Amino acid sequence: MKMAFRVAALATLLLSSPAMAQTELRITHATTGGGEKEVLDRIVADFQAANPDIKVTQIPFDDDVYSNTGLITQLQGQDVPDIYFQWAGFPVKRDADAGYAMDLSTALASDGWGDTFIPAMWTAGAGTMVHGKPYLVPISLDVTNTIWFNESIFEENGIKPPANWEEFVALTAKLNKAGEIPIVQGNNEFWPFGNWASHIAAKVVPPEEYAAAFARTGKFSTPGFMKAFEHIVELREAGGFNRDIQGLGADPAMATFLEGSAAMHPIGSWLIGSAKEMADADFRYSSFDTPVIDPAHPLAHSVIGTVTGFAIHKKAKNPDAAIRFLKFFTNSDNQKLRAESGALSPVKGVNEAANLDAQTKQMARMLAEAPAMVPPPDTTYPVAVAEAYYQAAAYVAAGEKEPADALSWLDETLAAMGKQ
Amino acid sequence: MAGRPVEDRTQPLSSGAVNLLFAAPALVLFGCFVLLPVSSAFFYAFTHWDGYTAPRWAGFANFERAFTDTTHLMSYVHVVLYILGTLVFEVALGLGVAVLLNSERRGFSLLRGFYFSPMVLSMSAAGVLWAFVLDYRSGLLNSLLKALGAGDLAQPWLSQPSTALVAIMVVSGWKFSGFYMVIFFAALRRIPSSIYEAAILDGAGPFRRFFSITLPLLRQNVMVAMLLAITGGFAGFDLFFTMTNGGPFGATEVPATWIMKTAFDKNQLSYGVALTVVLAVVVMAISLVYLRFSERLNVHRY
Repeated sequence: MKMAFRVAALATLLLSSPAMAQTELRITHATTGGGEKEVLDRIVADFQAANPDIKVTQIPFDDDVYSNTGLITQLQGQDVPDIYFQWAGFPVKRDADAGYAMDLSTALASDGWGDTFIPAMWTAGAGTMVHGKPYLVPISLDVTNTIWFNESIFEENGIKPPANWEEFVALTAKLNKAGEIPIVQGNNEFWPFGNWASHIAAKVVPPEEYAAAFARTGKFSTPGFMKAFEHIVELREAGGFNRDIQGLGADPAMATFLEGSAAMHPIGSWLIGSAKEMADADFRYSSFDTPVIDPAHPLAHSVIGTVTGFAIHKKAKNPDAAIRFLKFFTNSDNQKLRAESGALSPVKGVNEAANLDAQTKQMARMLAEAPAMVPPPDTTYPVAVAEAYYQAAAYVAAGEKEPADALSWLDETLAAMGKQ
Repeated sequence: MAGRPVEDRTQPLSSGAVNLLFAAPALVLFGCFVLLPVSSAFFYAFTHWDGYTAPRWAGFANFERAFTDTTHLMSYVHVVLYILGTLVFEVALGLGVAVLLNSERRGFSLLRGFYFSPMVLSMSAAGVLWAFVLDYRSGLLNSLLKALGAGDLAQPWLSQPSTALVAIMVVSGWKFSGFYMVIFFAALRRIPSSIYEAAILDGAGPFRRFFSITLPLLRQNVMVAMLLAITGGFAGFDLFFTMTNGGPFGATEVPATWIMKTAFDKNQLSYGVALTVVLAVVVMAISLVYLRFSERLNVHRY
């Protein structure tokens, strides 16, 4: 009996000891599909194999749900995630000020980890630093809006990527006349066209006027924004916007483009990952940046983009394991895998060494050659202000309001909102 | 009989603090899950709070904003229009179908089952399903119109302000008319057939029988159905969220979707909470007025 008890106790100990010793590392993010998800799962599996004492639990959300309710509820919960995905800029500053994000100065200084990234990642403009300290480990560089086009449709209609805005409007009108859907946009959530409209404005409005309006020290009803909205009208009158623009979601719009039903689709560089999953093998596509509108403008050749990354929660149960994971995640090999799945890397030398597809190479070149990068307003200014601008731009695109009325509506809406 | 103590009806059935013990579990649950959230909501409604940083006292600023926020004010107009629509597409249609299908003839019970079947679907599933049906490019409705040679009538039903709200009303009617049909059908079965037989002998036609017999005898059920439609309308969210998310341009924005947007999309939780307080007060006031009104209607004067 005594012997049997000892055997049973030993068996229980043997069976339970590995589970008891394992540390659970909880990671929440907004990567739910496409090539990036496959690579993420692979990196997690490799990390677990190399660190058998750590079990990684992923908590993924659709990106809209993640940014609206998914993250906020987790950050304030009892059982916080150790690592969470975040967009650089305003959200990182908010998290640092609210005490959710951990200061990563010490971690990045150890073993030269911080030096493995492109130096620009640790500048104020990158949105990873708050009060001079790093709070976000950058994991990818995203062009948040570029104009993807179907090469076959362009060839069939004898069209080439435009050199300037006038040519862009003209080719849109030509495609419309030919019975094609020139541009498909799903603006149900306002940000898809809003991002693009903010880049159009950034290329036209004097930079100080632009910043003052979004920071609410100035107004939107200015000649500069008026000019930007008039360019949207030009595009609308050329038949540039699909009739269901406001009812269509971002994902169905992308699917419409990837199935070959529309000539152009303005959206971010993440389309590359989705194309790998959704488009037919013979689907040929490429992109061009929003064409130059005013050659004299200082941001005439800018691209609109942002940095995304992982933050460690200040109350993470396993900060050491979190740092170990992020170092693994951002090593050259894993970043190369991510770059090859369509996510441009912020780590030195990776994009050059990776075997990138034509589209990712194009994004890398676009970022490298651009004299300036404009961040999207919803990662730079209070979300409510950015959203109001997006809605005003959508009014103009859909023909619901003329530019002057849309800008007045915008100023009145912000005034009614009070100080945020 | 003589020895039985006389019950003192002037004394309360129970008294003393010890009785609180019996009520304590319910009171604790009520306090934790109703009173505490409601009072914290009232607190946050008077602050500026984005959900991330600590709340700052704002006084009545959120409520002042609520009464100048045109999207918020229009959301009440939309919900009233939606409720009027549901009274037609849900309650009136449900009543009509119940009367038409009030028969023992073969196949009628199967038909009633068909009409009731959309109730089995969740609201979100119904919303997603109909969003596909009403899709501009590949939706069933527009495809049907094109196949019938009426392609010019094809519209982006959910993408234009003029059609989006009506589309939601129709889907809501498709979903709920079966529910009201069941309520009315059960009530119709309780009306004695002799009344109809007497009316027929008196020469009353079907419309006269409906308006003079059926409708008056179903008055209680109609009132309940209307109350359900009104309060349900104010709480309407999932169908709006899945079909249009309040768009296009707020044309289908109802209080619940606007509350969600301000609180979570725009990170203005305290303003969203203030709008919730306003909604709760409005719904409570309407329910009280309605109940009072319906009680008066039920008083018979002799």
